[in-house]
Amino acid sequence: MSHYILFHGRECPHCKKMMPLVDKLIAEEGAEIDQREVWHDEKNADLMRSYKDIIKAKCGGQLRVPTFLNAETNEVFCGEVEYEKLIKWIS
Amino acid sequence: MRKFWRCHVCNDIHYGIFPPELCPTCKVEFGYIEVSSQEARKIMSISETTMSKEDFVAAIHRFTKMREFNVNPDQERVEMLTGGVFTCEQSQGLKYCPCRMIERDFESDLSLICPCNFLQHDTYKDKPDGECWCGLFVKKETT
Repeated sequence: MSHYILFHGRECPHCKKMMPLVDKLIAEEGAEIDQREVWHDEKNADLMRSYKDIIKAKCGGQLRVPTFLNAETNEVFCGEVEYEKLIKWIS
Repeated sequence: MRKFWRCHVCNDIHYGIFPPELCPTCKVEFGYIEVSSQEARKIMSISETTMSKEDFVAAIHRFTKMREFNVNPDQERVEMLTGGVFTCEQSQGLKYCPCRMIERDFESDLSLICPCNFLQHDTYKDKPDGECWCGLFVKKETT
């Protein structure tokens, strides 16, 4: 399992906007990203909640989607971000 | 601590720390008396209501009418978000924001019910083009 985890929601417009960039990241950079949809899969929701202290500290005190997490370094950011930030995330 | 209050004239139910001074339904003044949650639920069970997605969209438009924000004019976005809100209601029983995640702490998760108190959020407050986290509500343009 990759330590780059993306928590996203199927009906979240921010997530929808970020998905093509995530796909590009996988295609062009060969990134391995563990993509977890949280509103239709309780196990994924539980996984997100298991990181809640780390995520909330960086995401305005909330569990927001999309959340990009490096589970090894605990680096987190959430919301819509530039592609360059995604590249930095996986490098 | 919040309690339930019943208008002794028209049986309007209020949930809050204090009773309203004026009943919004029958306009009687100082008409509320404290009741148990069991009594309140029993009275409220007279009116079982349901809400379709269309009803909800109409409700959020009415909600914005006198406020400093609008429902997002992007109908595709509104459609997607209200679909998510109803998915959450079906699975969790409440209309939670589809762009956040509940923590399974019922009381704190109440802050995620749509519409949430987004006027305090960093995505809205002090921003001329502020919006709630999911973008269902956007600040009205000032001319």
